[in-house]
Amino acid sequence: MSVPVSAGDGFKGLELRQLSRRVGSHTLVDQLSLTVAPGEILALLGPSGCGKSSTLRLIAGLDPASSGEIQLGGRNITALPPAERQVAMVFQSYALFPHLSVERNLSLGMELRGMARGEIQRELDQVLALMQLEWLRQRKPAELSGGQRQRVALARALIRRPALFLLDEPMSNLDAQLRDNLRAELRTLLRSTGVPVVYVTHDQHEAMGLADQIAVLREGRLQQLGTAERLYRDPANRFVARFLGSPTINLIERGTTQLGLRPELLELTDAGSPVPQGWDALEGQLSHREWLGDRVISHVQCAEQGTLRVLSREAPTSAALQVRWRQADALRFDARSGERLPGSNTPHTD
Amino acid sequence: MARLLLLLWSLGPMFWQLYSSLKPSEALSGVGAGGWTLENYRQLLQGDPPFLTYLINSVEVGASSTALTLALAVPCAYALSRLSRRQARALTSLVAAAAAFPAVLLFLALLELARDWHLANQLLALSLPYAGLCLPLVILLLQAAFADIPIVLEEAALIEGMDLWQRLRWILLPLMAPAMASSALLVFLFSWNEYPIALTWLSRTELLTLAPAMARIAGSSVYTIPYGAFAAATVLGSAPLILLMLLFQRQIISGLTQGAIKG
Repeated sequence: MSVPVSAGDGFKGLELRQLSRRVGSHTLVDQLSLTVAPGEILALLGPSGCGKSSTLRLIAGLDPASSGEIQLGGRNITALPPAERQVAMVFQSYALFPHLSVERNLSLGMELRGMARGEIQRELDQVLALMQLEWLRQRKPAELSGGQRQRVALARALIRRPALFLLDEPMSNLDAQLRDNLRAELRTLLRSTGVPVVYVTHDQHEAMGLADQIAVLREGRLQQLGTAERLYRDPANRFVARFLGSPTINLIERGTTQLGLRPELLELTDAGSPVPQGWDALEGQLSHREWLGDRVISHVQCAEQGTLRVLSREAPTSAALQVRWRQADALRFDARSGERLPGSNTPHTD
Repeated sequence: MARLLLLLWSLGPMFWQLYSSLKPSEALSGVGAGGWTLENYRQLLQGDPPFLTYLINSVEVGASSTALTLALAVPCAYALSRLSRRQARALTSLVAAAAAFPAVLLFLALLELARDWHLANQLLALSLPYAGLCLPLVILLLQAAFADIPIVLEEAALIEGMDLWQRLRWILLPLMAPAMASSALLVFLFSWNEYPIALTWLSRTELLTLAPAMARIAGSSVYTIPYGAFAAATVLGSAPLILLMLLFQRQIISGLTQGAIKG
């Protein structure tokens, strides 16, 4: 597992050291260690209940850590109350104050911190312009669309000039179209802050499209930390392999090992074709196809191996098919533990 | 049709009182006929002490009882809504038990208290038993209102750097305005209408609140029942309440139904 920046004492980003949170007999976060450099976006990715939101709450100071340490900008913030951590958080529900206008939602914190009125006004104008919210200044949250609410929530976080940005599934309340459009915009915005960003999501596309590094969590434990490409091509275990990639990876049994086959690395030919040197093959029947426009997902029913998903440009012409792959392309996992076995493929770079 | 009946049922007596208050006493007791008159009101307002004194006394007691009750109930309700479920349930049933306790049984004890602590004939001291009696119910009402506010709003405020008082003042209490308004009205109404404690704690005429004052008007003469004056007192006594209701009706209605929808 590679750590992107060497974490010395002068490290300016965010660093978690062996961070754990236990409630009763439950371990929500288990010995989590990772670093996020300034200007870097880290996605915490995993299914619901994997501990990603718990981790975010620990960093924000909303829940106390059971053990371990949180360092931000070279300072230990593990025991500090949220107000003193200089973090900003965007909540899944946005948590806008429903009784206050957009403007007051942004300015209330500054007012209560005793900032000068002129300065507040300047900051407000700047952030509202940046987020294109000027014309909504006087609206109440209930009078805004989902996308506008999200922008207000982001603006409220930005205006704090935080030392750390935390986002808890900020896109999950938006429709798919808007989410796709916003991803690039959000990435640019977050990177421009120049502070570490921790982004929680259960959506692999969001994590892959937004983050510099992805940390995959399962049951509170870090499974793998790396770039999207690294996680996709060189997963540490079956869980990571299955969690990333759409359609999901095909798994076929080979005794005590399991082969992981990415749908786009499979080829389809007519049944009975000769298998070339260094290739492996299964034969099966086409059960159905999903036409995606530029690609086709063919579901091929293979004896004793279930259905394989094959992603290809051309739709197969016959019903009896041979599915084949380069032996070097197959990922090998221990069938019981799911751990990646050595000697499988060398990571691609094409 | 049903609504009309309901309106008649609730407003009819009020109009009857208004009508009675504008007739001379003789006309009301069936002796002789009379036109309209303001004599009853004149008599009340120019009495000794003038009726206005009682109104002001009642407003003072009502306002101070309401303020005291809310000041105590808000922190209690907040704490209850933030405790762990098990602790909160135990404490809530205690509060509910207090709310259900028959207050009649406390009058003698309260009288003793008033004597020992020299609270008799102190107008504002009435707020103490009034707040005490209203507190359990108001705590329960406000606790439900706190529980209805998503916790994430308070967390957002926490991250914004607001301390407990600021979160209450700027985020939680404004969102609870309906529940606060209906609780306040409940306490105000209670102290406005309360009779036995006011009767036993206050003896000096110029300190009386409305309820005992009206009882005195009704029983002021052995030979005649002053229907007209009594009706006028009723009208004057309910006017401030009607005004309050009209002013805050929207908050009160949404406050009363708030808990009902979400269980």
